[in-house]
Amino acid sequence: MQHTGFINGDGDTKNALVVIFLRGGADGLNMVVPIEDDAYYSARPLVGISKSATVPLDGMFALNPQLAPLANLYRSGDLAIVHCAGSEDQTRSHFEAQDAMEHGGTGGGGWLGRYLRYRPNGPGGPLAAVAIGSAAPEALRGAPATVVMNSFADFALGEKAPASMSALGKLYAPESGALGVAARSTLSALGKINQLNANSYTPSNDAKYPQSQLGDGLCNIAQLLKAKVGLEAACLDLGGWDSHFASATLIDPLMKDLADSVSAFHCDMNGAMRNTTVVVMTEFGRRVYENASLGTDHGRASAMFVLGGGVRGGKVYCDWKGLAMDKLEAPGDLPVQNNYRDVLAPILARHSGMNDYSRVFPEYALTPLELHA
Amino acid sequence: MRISRRNFIQAASALSAAALTGCDQTVRFLGVPQAPGLAGPFEVAATSTVDPVTHVLRRLTFGPRPGDYARVAAMGIDAFMEEQLNPDAIDDYACDSLVRRNETLAAPLGELFEYKQDLLLRELTRATVQRAVYSNRQLYEVMVEFWSDHFNIAQSKGDCAWLKTADDRDVIRKHALGNFSELLRASALSPAMLWYLDGRANKKSNDSEKANENYARELLELHTLGVHGGYTQRDVMETARCLTGWTVRSEQKFFKGRLEFREDWHDDGEKTVLGQMIPAGGRETDIDRVIEIVTAHPSTAQYLAWKLCRRFIADDPQQSAVDAVAAAFTASKGDIKTTLRALFATEEFRASTDAKFKRPLRYVASALRATAAECDPNDALYQYLLRMGHTPFQYPTPDGYPEEAEHWMGSMLWRWHFTAALAESRIEGTQVDWKKLDEYAGGERMVVAHLLGRDASELETQCCTESGAGPVFMLASPSFQRF
Repeated sequence: MQHTGFINGDGDTKNALVVIFLRGGADGLNMVVPIEDDAYYSARPLVGISKSATVPLDGMFALNPQLAPLANLYRSGDLAIVHCAGSEDQTRSHFEAQDAMEHGGTGGGGWLGRYLRYRPNGPGGPLAAVAIGSAAPEALRGAPATVVMNSFADFALGEKAPASMSALGKLYAPESGALGVAARSTLSALGKINQLNANSYTPSNDAKYPQSQLGDGLCNIAQLLKAKVGLEAACLDLGGWDSHFASATLIDPLMKDLADSVSAFHCDMNGAMRNTTVVVMTEFGRRVYENASLGTDHGRASAMFVLGGGVRGGKVYCDWKGLAMDKLEAPGDLPVQNNYRDVLAPILARHSGMNDYSRVFPEYALTPLELHA
Repeated sequence: MRISRRNFIQAASALSAAALTGCDQTVRFLGVPQAPGLAGPFEVAATSTVDPVTHVLRRLTFGPRPGDYARVAAMGIDAFMEEQLNPDAIDDYACDSLVRRNETLAAPLGELFEYKQDLLLRELTRATVQRAVYSNRQLYEVMVEFWSDHFNIAQSKGDCAWLKTADDRDVIRKHALGNFSELLRASALSPAMLWYLDGRANKKSNDSEKANENYARELLELHTLGVHGGYTQRDVMETARCLTGWTVRSEQKFFKGRLEFREDWHDDGEKTVLGQMIPAGGRETDIDRVIEIVTAHPSTAQYLAWKLCRRFIADDPQQSAVDAVAAAFTASKGDIKTTLRALFATEEFRASTDAKFKRPLRYVASALRATAAECDPNDALYQYLLRMGHTPFQYPTPDGYPEEAEHWMGSMLWRWHFTAALAESRIEGTQVDWKKLDEYAGGERMVVAHLLGRDASELETQCCTESGAGPVFMLASPSFQRF
């Protein structure tokens, strides 16, 4: 009889994965800028980010100034960047590409849902998967339990919670076996959640979350993780990256929000980041060449960010081939070099000890990146 | 092209939603019966232990409603079983009227592609919950759920989003209490299944092409013989060869989604499946030989009997019961009613009170039935199934939602939440008339007994009082999780 599937309100050390999906196709080339590639500047004379404005990372790449807060995390070795990342989907349709990536291929359900269901010692407890927002993302489809959460009030056990909880404790006390174990650990976790209050929460280390949906969401996730209620996967969205027109005005504030939120989360979680991985991904990147309205059109590869969880950071993972026309995929797109599955797989392996990916990423021959030491 | 089609469909579904609202009002105005509520005083089994009437009621249905106990006690258990085994003779007008409002359910296969996939899933899910809660053909619905797991299809895979609606109607519901061979054949040729397990891509149009084994393997492993049923890798390959050529029309033209046999994709050589030779030249009849061979195999009778016993008796059913059920399956050549009759006649079935743990859908449905809730299974209710990880048609892999209690232990928190929300009328679209329930049952003690199927223990009574919630608190109790 396995008892690992329940929430363990008593200081579990489960690893948690936080997935931030940038919806709309985020411009990887303007986020992680190939400042030493002249072809970048000739392709983007107006939309390109000038070298002097960027924050240098290594000999080739530099961060968009809006992402400056991430530079410290990169330098401290906690943030890895995977460039030229994306999926095999060629439709350049938001809908199709997001679906393909969140489903993790052509199987039923989403990759994260299948992971939670089929990983070793699965499935998770009632709080294993939390989505911030109004609907569960496709990635969590088929998960053993998905909570779409707006606030901690969603967890309270009704108006008579304290009396109910005490009565439940008594009622389940004579239960031996799996049901009794499940009931007791659930009550224990519930007790902890009831003490969470988003308004009176003081983040650790003076972390300052921005006043944004993403900031609030990550702040809630941090509280749940600190309460150790068995949270293993959290999904958050940041939309609005479809920068066909006047791209800087559209995505500058998004990049700032992303960088501020993520670095506040990192600061707040502090040592617990060892067991927590944040992944930032998007359905596709933008065309290398700018268009006539100071924007860029749908392209192929973008960048992914991997923070914490023991990742070997301080490095941009990719074998940069340059942006010369003959290195691009028609009609002028950065080719995908790192399939998103090859980025996610090593993280899932580290989190769960999983080594058989056939159900999580079916019909795909993995070549996982060596993201961890 | 695709975008404009989507926009068109969005506009169309907005229109149809508007039309539906209007229709609802008309229906109310005309006085078409709403879902059954609390008609009047009802008898409660206030026995010290769960009696056989309650036991049988719980297993053959999604849970007893007020009044069910007296009705079954009066007609007798055997007559009730026979009634439930013949759903066509049961009047289900009220439930049908509710379900009919999900207009996508009736759309012919080809027209399904005109709808948005979200709407299709929403209506299919809603109808499933409506039927579980309101249908009088309860055993039929219980078996529909059983076969939906047995022949699981994840609606989210490719064109299954559109085709599962037809599979539910034309395969699962059509044959749920029919003959297993016919059910299996219908499933094998269901466009949704051909999509889900890649049968549509199973072809051999030249010598270098190899058959796609995905469906053939699951046919033997999950649908018929079982993983230890004695088939070999060669049997999988040979079965796949037999099924080459059966595909789904996917071109953007008429009859999209329709089943098609492409002779030029079929491997028409001689095959041997489970030791039986299928001569060359069989073309589209090869599949019939495969269905005959696999359903007649003794492992299939054993495997299906075991799965049925696991669903109706206990997670780990006794071999004696499995043998009796398998014998009935074999003797009746896969007649599902005869097989179930044999199962219900076993000692093991009759003696298995409280041996099963409710899966979340059953938990929710049984609570709504017991309280005679008026319920529109909308997104608010759906959120509970999502939290408990049991949303219909969304299990990713072909093995279907697990049956064993152990798998569902993580859902306790949300069962308790559901109880509290139901008690406090916080589930939008779902209402319980607690006053009436109390009045018609004959007071608090009787409501508790009605929910538990027996008189409450001292501890249960005490906890009910201390919770401050009243009898409804029993929906959160360990006893109400079992059946």
